[in-house]
Amino acid sequence: MQMRKVYNWQLGRKAAYVYPLGRPKKQWAIIFDLNKCISCQTCSLACKTTWTSGRGQEYMFWNNVATKPYGGYPQGWDMGMLSKLGLQEWDGNKYIGKTLFEAAAKNEKILQHVADDKDWSHPNLGEDEVAAAIERGDWIRIPHRAWMFYLPRTCGHCTYPACLGACPRKAIYKREEDGIVLIDQSRCRGYRECVRSCPYKKSMFNVETRISEKCIGCYPKIEQGEMTQCTTNCIGKIRLNGFVSTPDNARKDNPIDYLIHERKLALSLYPQFGLETNIYYIPPVHAPVAYLEQMFGPGAGAAVQTYRSIRDDQTLKGLMVLFGSMEKVLHGFKVDNSFAYGYDEKGNEVVKVPVTEPMYIRDFYDKKLNVYRHNTP
Amino acid sequence: MVLKKIICVWMFLFLATGVASAEGKKKIFAEFVSYHKSVDAAKVGLNDDIWKSIPSSRLPLQRQFLVFPKPMDVGVKEMSVQSFNDGKYITFRLSWKDSTQNTGPKLMDFSDGAALQFPVNKKPLPEYFMGEEKRPVHILHWKAWRSRDKQEGFQTVKSAYPNMTVDMYNFDYKVKGVGTEKTQAEKDIFTPGKAAGNPLSFDHKEIIEELNSEGAGTLKSKNIENTSGDAEWKDGQWTVIFRRPLTVSDPLSARFVAGEKMPVAFSVWEGERRESAGRKAVSPAWAEVKVE
Ligand code: SF4
Ligand code: SF4
Ligand code: SF4
Repeated sequence: MQMRKVYNWQLGRKAAYVYPLGRPKKQWAIIFDLNKCISCQTCSLACKTTWTSGRGQEYMFWNNVATKPYGGYPQGWDMGMLSKLGLQEWDGNKYIGKTLFEAAAKNEKILQHVADDKDWSHPNLGEDEVAAAIERGDWIRIPHRAWMFYLPRTCGHCTYPACLGACPRKAIYKREEDGIVLIDQSRCRGYRECVRSCPYKKSMFNVETRISEKCIGCYPKIEQGEMTQCTTNCIGKIRLNGFVSTPDNARKDNPIDYLIHERKLALSLYPQFGLETNIYYIPPVHAPVAYLEQMFGPGAGAAVQTYRSIRDDQTLKGLMVLFGSMEKVLHGFKVDNSFAYGYDEKGNEVVKVPVTEPMYIRDFYDKKLNVYRHNTP
Repeated sequence: MVLKKIICVWMFLFLATGVASAEGKKKIFAEFVSYHKSVDAAKVGLNDDIWKSIPSSRLPLQRQFLVFPKPMDVGVKEMSVQSFNDGKYITFRLSWKDSTQNTGPKLMDFSDGAALQFPVNKKPLPEYFMGEEKRPVHILHWKAWRSRDKQEGFQTVKSAYPNMTVDMYNFDYKVKGVGTEKTQAEKDIFTPGKAAGNPLSFDHKEIIEELNSEGAGTLKSKNIENTSGDAEWKDGQWTVIFRRPLTVSDPLSARFVAGEKMPVAFSVWEGERRESAGRKAVSPAWAEVKVE
């Protein structure tokens, strides 16, 4: 098909897309620190109880958490897609391989990996499964030879959404005000071209209403200046929800821009797919860099190094404690010697957190109460 | 110089496609007759004797080739059509071979289906594929899902996945006063397709849906106008009948006039191959039915 060329900063070049899509005024984004996710699934349940508790939505997890490298919801979503796309290459920070739009057959819009019913039916198969068999002595070796990590995901409200491009009747739209991608529930006719085409498999079919549904980016909360349900309910405080700029418009005081553009610590998921998706990950430091590069692009190794040096980096350390500390979306932040501050769109302070929690050491024996106390920091 | 060349090539392409589409509009690939019979066409059954006396026309189908995605191949490459009218109603009886019956919705299961398309106005004749802007077509769309809904009741998640277990649903708790007292309409607000009034999300009396289209991607469901249908799958073959009045008051509906020819085009979907939307088999151009 005749494609348009659009600029994709994650690939460092122009790439093919179905429409000459302009960018929204603001772009919704979530950053996940994968070093901290404990797969408690509170996020999945927060989303489910809020949005998908009805008939036909039983299997739907607009937010899901799977164990990598083997787990996936639907099963094999990424492996299936990667093996279809085949070996592709980066030249430094520029992607010289083919994106899914560029690799499409001439009669198709996008290269597709279609998940079967059985792939959707076990949302967390392979939970806690590690990358290799455990051998004698492995448990005392650090770092562990066999690794795994948890990968929480939502829809990425992509800059160039495959779902939107694939829909034959333009039932999917991207909101100008925040970049959130929605399926118009009155226009959809259940063709499932979006379900087939989204490489992240975040568009889903409702058997009962016979049309497709997807993560709505919690737009009613975003409109109130609040972060998504899956972000604010996160037990591990691993998430930060806000707005990402393009690299040339990046603001150093926007926490999202700072982590993505300034420090290049948070990287997008499978950028090579070519959708400029907007879920960003701080890679887990203990997984092999080669695997992380396949998943997050060529910046993964450097991001791991940066993460390892956070303890000596007051700004990053401060920013990391802002994760999970407030419900309001932060448009600005500041870190001084003792505190990290977060600001709303008007510049009002909405949160203030100590960079290092104060520690109190108490006497082992309290005479007044006649009790012994342990200090457990 | 280069610019000139580009312009020339562009002009040439423009002319070539212009001619081709004008050609496409005129070309009629097949003709058949809707015989006049004194049998109630509004009530005729799928296998009534009358069909034995009506000649059947075999028509080719081919892969949809005009809008993306274009399927490389399709499941159904030939169909038969018979038609008669009684001066008030007209009936079409389609049949085609399909070794698999796809009648139930699942996450990745698609419905078998067939559609008839007529121009709302014959002159000028709209583009044969889904009509064009200001030149609408009228479509009668049958889906195997709907036939099964009608026979067994609206299919649900429970019928699609009988072994599925669910703890509980909102408003269905076994205690009072937590939404359980809400009316069905109030509960439906929490079902997105229903809340948005999407016609696909509701149970329908008829297995045929009526639609208008003004070009690919503009399909719009409309009210049923005494249109009815029946379908049966037997021995690897679907047989479907579509019955409707020759004329209705809605200006966006096809009107059949005795003695005149009516353009018609067909689409068939093979659910087993996950055919849906433009992934389908279509007539190669408009056919014509001569209404006796
Ligand atoms: S709530 Fe947070 S820590 Fe728990 S699984 Fe979700 S992302 Fe991970
Ligand atoms: S992740 Fe998938 S469903 Fe979400 S916007 Fe991107 S292509 Fe669409
Ligand atoms: S952003 Fe909202 S709708 Fe999307 S996965 Fe998170 S909780 Fe669910």
